[in-house]
Amino acid sequence: MLTIVFFALSGLDVLDALDVVDKPSLIEWIYSLQVLPTDDKSNLSRCGFRGSSHIGVPYNSSKGPGAPHTYDSGHVAMTYTGLACLVILGDDLSRVCREACLAGLRALQLEDGSFYAVPEGSENDMRFVYCAACICFMLDDWSGMDRQRAIDYIRRSTSYDSGIGQGAGLESHGGSTFCAVASLCMMGNLQEVFSERELKRIRRWCILRQQNGFHGRPNKPVDTCYSFWVGATLELLDVFQYTNFEKNRSYILSTQDRLVGGFAKWPDSHPDPLHTYFGICGLSLMGEAELQKVHPALNISVRAFESLRRLHEAWRQKST
Amino acid sequence: HMNGILSVFKTDRKEWADLEPVPQDDGPNPVVKIAYSEKFTDVFDMFRALLKNDEKSERAFALTAEAIELNAANYTVWHYRRVLLQALDKDLREEMKYITAIIEDQPKNYQVWHHRRMVVEWLNDPSEELQFVAEILSQDAKNYHAWQHRQWVMQEYKLWDGELEYVEELLEEDVRNNSAWNQRHFVISHTRGYSDSAILEREVQYTLKQIKKAPHNESAWNYLNGILQDGGLSSYPGLLEQVTELQDTCSSPYLTAFLVDLYEDALETNSSSYDQQETLNKALELCKLLAEEKDTIRREYWNYVSRSLQNTYGSGDPVASSSDPPPPSSSQQPDTEPSDP
Repeated sequence: MLTIVFFALSGLDVLDALDVVDKPSLIEWIYSLQVLPTDDKSNLSRCGFRGSSHIGVPYNSSKGPGAPHTYDSGHVAMTYTGLACLVILGDDLSRVCREACLAGLRALQLEDGSFYAVPEGSENDMRFVYCAACICFMLDDWSGMDRQRAIDYIRRSTSYDSGIGQGAGLESHGGSTFCAVASLCMMGNLQEVFSERELKRIRRWCILRQQNGFHGRPNKPVDTCYSFWVGATLELLDVFQYTNFEKNRSYILSTQDRLVGGFAKWPDSHPDPLHTYFGICGLSLMGEAELQKVHPALNISVRAFESLRRLHEAWRQKST
Repeated sequence: HMNGILSVFKTDRKEWADLEPVPQDDGPNPVVKIAYSEKFTDVFDMFRALLKNDEKSERAFALTAEAIELNAANYTVWHYRRVLLQALDKDLREEMKYITAIIEDQPKNYQVWHHRRMVVEWLNDPSEELQFVAEILSQDAKNYHAWQHRQWVMQEYKLWDGELEYVEELLEEDVRNNSAWNQRHFVISHTRGYSDSAILEREVQYTLKQIKKAPHNESAWNYLNGILQDGGLSSYPGLLEQVTELQDTCSSPYLTAFLVDLYEDALETNSSSYDQQETLNKALELCKLLAEEKDTIRREYWNYVSRSLQNTYGSGDPVASSSDPPPPSSSQQPDTEPSDP
């Protein structure tokens, strides 16, 4: 599953340990997950990346054309993590069918500005707004979405307590708050969308999440991954520096598994790729020694981010 | 039954003999090598075959249940099951029973809740939903999926009656249930609303009462602050007095922070009912109290709030820390380097 590969790969990148990986093979495998436009281009609204080969489409890591299959379509989180993995691996995205991905993305946006995960329909919420923003950002092309509608969705999802929920009326939550704030940062609109007064209140909501580590909602237990979701949001809002690093760090490290390694949501719990990755990122935000810095909005190493920027410069030069 | 409809013993599978299983194809260098059980591989090899042919049959429908049991997060299986439900004109009441059982077993899975929503929509029958969600919430009163479903049902079918009572029940059981406080706001804002001053006053008094019962409760304080934002904390008659009164018996970092916010509102609106200098001093004093005593984990943050207040409302030279966020006039670049700690 591509999301798990992302956690592992980006985690290794932050650990500066990508050398253990067979990069060319991985790049091939990731490209094999691309839902390619068919000869007659009738499936453009279903393009993107799959999470895995589970539906049995024959292996094809080229740029196309793809074999038609009634049930073959991309998933917005897989398109996001697929592109991110390629960037991390130093690939130049030349085999990505950019126009097809963007068409597939446009097909996922609802009238209210949020996104489905798949064209067949699914739940819609702030997670997929974030995935969509990452895709547009990485492809350097915001034609993949109606930005104003997405912004409206974000504003309508802001709660009475100034945290941000998964959608309008829903409880404010550290994960959706990250998704919203990070998306606006990538759009370059954070300070146009929220007034200074509103930003102050969002900062307050976020900074109150620290108990030792961080939790995702008031009166809920802390969980390692929120050290990133909330920590990164605070960093994007310029106030992460005012959190208590020692307590946060202590908590994250207390969730480490001394036998097999990795991090879990809580101490003495089973580690998993997600919590391990976000535990590492949470530590990276505090400048932990031997860890690469993480870009708090795009959620890849700053080094990978820089190579993406160089790619964008090359694209822009080519088009002028 | 032990083996399900797809027997582990390949010799028994006469009913599937016509279908060539389709294996997963990860090419020459498979990256994620999951050690699937034999049963898992069998079921999904058959699933891929059915999908390829777009077969619409009872055996296909039965197989989706097997696949779901092995992996209820596979959204393609759920989609295919929905296609079959319609193509075979299956009994949706039976499907409701099925999805009810699956959700009870896996209440934190996204796909199962989405499936239930689709079936409810097709039946156009929300009559079981509030009770069902209440059942799930009785096991985990903060399950986000459950609350999301509940809000969808209420809004879609306009089922507002009795919800405020339900919220109050939950708050009786756990006054710190943030989801319940959120739901309270949801229900009131969609019914009579907070513009009605009688409602607003009722809510203020209700919240203060809950605070007295459990002073160290962020949810109640967030609610109080939230519902009074529009009018402004410093303008609400008697509020400063009521909150100050609580300081001795119901002290908490939230109370102190609330007062800081109230004073800041007085400064921001340049309220004539407040002496500006005295108000600023009180606010700064409270920030210091929070930093040094009441909320020390956020010491640096309260010092930063203090500096911001001094810079905005103070009459002396600007107070600065080199790492303070830039003033609002500079625009945020989308690719800002994170600042070093």
